[in-house]
Amino acid sequence: MLAILRDLLRYNLEFRIGIVLVGIVFILSVLSFFSPYPPQDVYVVPPDVPPSLTYWLGTTSRGQDVFWQLTFAIRNTLLFGFTVALISRVLALVIGLVSGYKGGWVDRVLMSLNDTFIVIPLLPVLVLFYFVMRDSMSWLMLALIMACLGWAYDARLIRSVAMSLKTREFTESSVFSGMTTREILVQEHLPYVMPIVFSTTMNNMVWSIGLEVTLAVLGFTDINTPTIGGMIYWANQHTAMVAGIWWWIAFPTIAVIMTFIGLFLLAVSMNEYIDPRSRLSRMGGAS
Amino acid sequence: MTTAAPASLADTRQPDSDRPILVVRNLQAHFRTSHFGVNRYVRAVDGISFDVRRGEIYGLAGESSSGKTTLVKTIAGAIKPPLEVVGGTIEFSFLPGYGGLHRAPPAEVARIRWRHLSYIMQGSMNVLNPVRRLRKSFDDFARPHIAGTGKQFEAAVIDHLARVKLEPSVLAAYPHELSGGMRQRATIALATICRPDFVIADEPTTALDVVVQKDVLGMIRGIQREIGSSMLFVTHDMGVHAWLTDRLGIMYAGRLVEEAATPEIFRNPLHPYTKHLIASLPRIGDDTPRKGLEGAPPNLADPPPGCRFHPRCPLAMEVCSRRVPDMIETAPGHRVACFAVNGSEAP
Amino acid sequence: MSGTLLDVSHVSKIFTRGGLFSSRRIVAVNDVSFRIEAGKPEIFTIIGESGSGKTTLSRMILNIEHPSRGRLAFDGVDLAMVRSNADRMAFMHKVQPIFQNPFEAFNPLKQLDRYLFMTSRRFHGEGDPAAIELAVDGALRKVGLSLKEIRHRYPHELSGGQLQRVAIARALLADPKLIVADEPVSMVDASLRMSIVNLFKTLRDDLGISIVYVTHDLATAYYISDRIIIMQKGSVVESGDARAVLSAPQHPYSRQLRDAVLLPGVATAASPQT
Repeated sequence: MLAILRDLLRYNLEFRIGIVLVGIVFILSVLSFFSPYPPQDVYVVPPDVPPSLTYWLGTTSRGQDVFWQLTFAIRNTLLFGFTVALISRVLALVIGLVSGYKGGWVDRVLMSLNDTFIVIPLLPVLVLFYFVMRDSMSWLMLALIMACLGWAYDARLIRSVAMSLKTREFTESSVFSGMTTREILVQEHLPYVMPIVFSTTMNNMVWSIGLEVTLAVLGFTDINTPTIGGMIYWANQHTAMVAGIWWWIAFPTIAVIMTFIGLFLLAVSMNEYIDPRSRLSRMGGAS
Repeated sequence: MTTAAPASLADTRQPDSDRPILVVRNLQAHFRTSHFGVNRYVRAVDGISFDVRRGEIYGLAGESSSGKTTLVKTIAGAIKPPLEVVGGTIEFSFLPGYGGLHRAPPAEVARIRWRHLSYIMQGSMNVLNPVRRLRKSFDDFARPHIAGTGKQFEAAVIDHLARVKLEPSVLAAYPHELSGGMRQRATIALATICRPDFVIADEPTTALDVVVQKDVLGMIRGIQREIGSSMLFVTHDMGVHAWLTDRLGIMYAGRLVEEAATPEIFRNPLHPYTKHLIASLPRIGDDTPRKGLEGAPPNLADPPPGCRFHPRCPLAMEVCSRRVPDMIETAPGHRVACFAVNGSEAP
Repeated sequence: MSGTLLDVSHVSKIFTRGGLFSSRRIVAVNDVSFRIEAGKPEIFTIIGESGSGKTTLSRMILNIEHPSRGRLAFDGVDLAMVRSNADRMAFMHKVQPIFQNPFEAFNPLKQLDRYLFMTSRRFHGEGDPAAIELAVDGALRKVGLSLKEIRHRYPHELSGGQLQRVAIARALLADPKLIVADEPVSMVDASLRMSIVNLFKTLRDDLGISIVYVTHDLATAYYISDRIIIMQKGSVVESGDARAVLSAPQHPYSRQLRDAVLLPGVATAASPQT
């Protein structure tokens, strides 16, 4: 693993930039643990102060330090994105691999389910959930719901890789070596599927964070837990742009853009590295 | 210089003793790849010299990692990184002075392509456009080189197709509508319609059924004899070489180890590798025990020093691991690169 | 214990292609029957070109495909009855495959010895690691290799010939009575081919394993086969003792195949040259 990271750092510019961006964002989120102000508290500092040496990123109209708010916001947002990505990857992998390998009625049932989930319109459904659940809609709940909506697209991708792997002769060798289906899927097929999983993880995080920001800006989430979207929501509530408090909106936006770009670059560079064909050409064999 | 005309060939044609059509001298072509810190330097073609005479079919035999595919690509001018020509020259008699297609200006290359030099490759789909009817491929490749009206061109094409026993109706077909054998015959017709001086054939019949293969090989030979072109025929199948080629060069690990008239190679192989190869070929009617070669072909990124065959050679001597044997003409028309055969005195 | 090892009885395989309104029937295998007796190990060769049905037939023998008509039975057990995991394992304990492409037979991203250890463990019980290593080494030695050479190696580090030998060793670890080899040497270099072909002879003579050898190459078929059937477009056109059939084929298609062999044969018949 370490060798991979070292190689990527040395040879891949995209990876270096991605690591830097994600690194900054990550450090910010870690700093949240050192915040002198609890995140929910308001009017702890003078409001509407522009960025200065005392308040690096300025303060909000609610009397909160933008910098420390941002650390909490980015931490929660990252956690959220990561949770959604993790749960939906697991779902996509299990359903995609099983469906592709088994074929037959298992495949048909699972793919009908899959296609149903693909066509569900996300935003209206999420808004509906919010209205139904109101106060019990914590961000964890939202993450779970989004994970259940976000696996379908990638399950099909994984399924098509699984289907092509099934016809390869080494799968039959594994069967005749006495391997069980679970062992074949995990030990033989998973390495081929990993590049897809990896790049779709980043995509998924970007998607879920984007969706969360959208919902939060519209006020359809738990607006008391600070997230990027939440900050922008409150800024809008206090008409920050009109009032000239640009720093309240600008810095969260910059932070989330950095996150997106960093994740994307990481995905692209790691993907090329992990791809079986490039692995094989590095090993020296033809694929 | 005569080659013994074997009773096998229906046409006891002797190659012209004029200036050879292709002269390769000390050709070296290597692959250099660098991927995430893994550097590979593969000496795929490492010092090869041979001639192809006018009107002859010269066969190149070799197994996996012999370098023959790289050699063919280099001669055909298909040189792109990571492949680079590191040394040596390739001279066609119709394109003198450049030392290789890759060094000639594009205008010159366009001039000789198809009219003087053409190719028959392994996959017919590499040549035939899959989304166009056959007629379009003929138009694209051959029309620029054949004078005359459209009607005259069409008549010439139909006439030529008859030589490979294809009906005129195939011109209107898409490649996937034809069988593998028909496609390959169309590719042969396409490659020979301009009566080129030199045809490079790289495993053209490998993917075909044996019955179809024999037909197609017969057509190749028929056309070659008729239009008098020279041919460089590359395949790993020794049976094809025995049947088709006039002279045969045996490649091992990026180098030529033996070269002679084909019947001579089969009757009297001199190099230990060739000897073993010929002896191991099974034949119908003969069930005497046969042995395969020990060991495995070398990794061209890290080949053995000196003669590359010495780790597997039953006749290996001390000098074989130190020096590279030269190709020496041991008998008339028969060259071998082996210290055991030629002796090891330093020149 | 005598009896019939493999009983192929009027087996046909029909593929339908096409949708609801138009479909084509492709008869891949048409009414093929033959038997291989137990207690008398032999090399049974199926000769055919592409489209002859030989691969489909071999896959039915391996129970990877199921016949549309007819019946295949191994050791008296009808293959259609093999359903549960236990049944399948019992079947694979007796019948093992060798595939055409040695480079595809193993996962290129994984080490080779994994398959060997796995086969040994699954078919001989989870013994202690030393016993398993011994078994794996023993199988590798039977094919002319050793565990020391193969340990921790990846497929791309070996030649086609060596990989096929590892594949044979893997098959041997299941202790089979029948090995079905589909074009096992067509993708192996000519100079390495004979050692694999000779290996099949050894398996028959020294280990008493019968081999179903599927190929299009008449020369190697002549060299090692006991009995032979020649297939064309799904049907058997000629069968019998291998030497007899190949030296003097009767059916026009068999004759065509024989004439298409490019390397001159030794002895009789309309032979091309030299």
